[in-house]
Amino acid sequence: MALFKAFINSPVGPKTTHFWGPVSNLGFFIAGVADMKKPPEMLSGNMTGVLCVYSALFMRFAWMVRPRNHMLLASHALNESVQLYQLSRWAKGKGYLQPKEDKAPSST
Amino acid sequence: MATSKLQALWNHPAGPKTIHFWAPTFKWGISIANIADFAKPPEKLSYPQQFAVTATGIIWSRYSMVITPKNWNLFSVNLAMAGTGLYQLSRKIRHDYFNEEETAALKE
Repeated sequence: MALFKAFINSPVGPKTTHFWGPVSNLGFFIAGVADMKKPPEMLSGNMTGVLCVYSALFMRFAWMVRPRNHMLLASHALNESVQLYQLSRWAKGKGYLQPKEDKAPSST
Repeated sequence: MATSKLQALWNHPAGPKTIHFWAPTFKWGISIANIADFAKPPEKLSYPQQFAVTATGIIWSRYSMVITPKNWNLFSVNLAMAGTGLYQLSRKIRHDYFNEEETAALKE
């Protein structure tokens, strides 16, 4: 009970914007998970690639910002994993990850 | 005089030597990727992803005005995200829900 109260009243807790900003970033992770069942042709290479770099940078930001924001770090770590996975699915779908001999000459 | 001002910027605690600069700056990539995807056919857009972009943009626009110091760079980048996300959502919704009537009328 005391732990719960400490969380509620924490300077990075749910009464503060330091909490809800990171929670909204979980939206990217949830969208990524929802899109895992989509065929790779439907994925956007632009957006997925950008999100990979974005979450990597913000993991560092979350660690260095004051107050240190573990929630933000966790939400970006989760997003990084799912976006890297989606990027690999997209790349395989385009034929970028095949060994050179097998690569079809007309793949774009 | 100009060089000392530039030096001040260069050595700023939230300047280009730090993650506090690059993380928000790179976030523009999300809006740029989304603008590149304006050319994509609406069938290929992802509702979960665009909803995440829009919601994150709106929530973080507020977040950036409530933290100390106010972060106008973060504010503008999130406003742009919300804008591009809303546009993509409107494109997809228009295609999914308002074109059906046209195609149904054509078939008759």
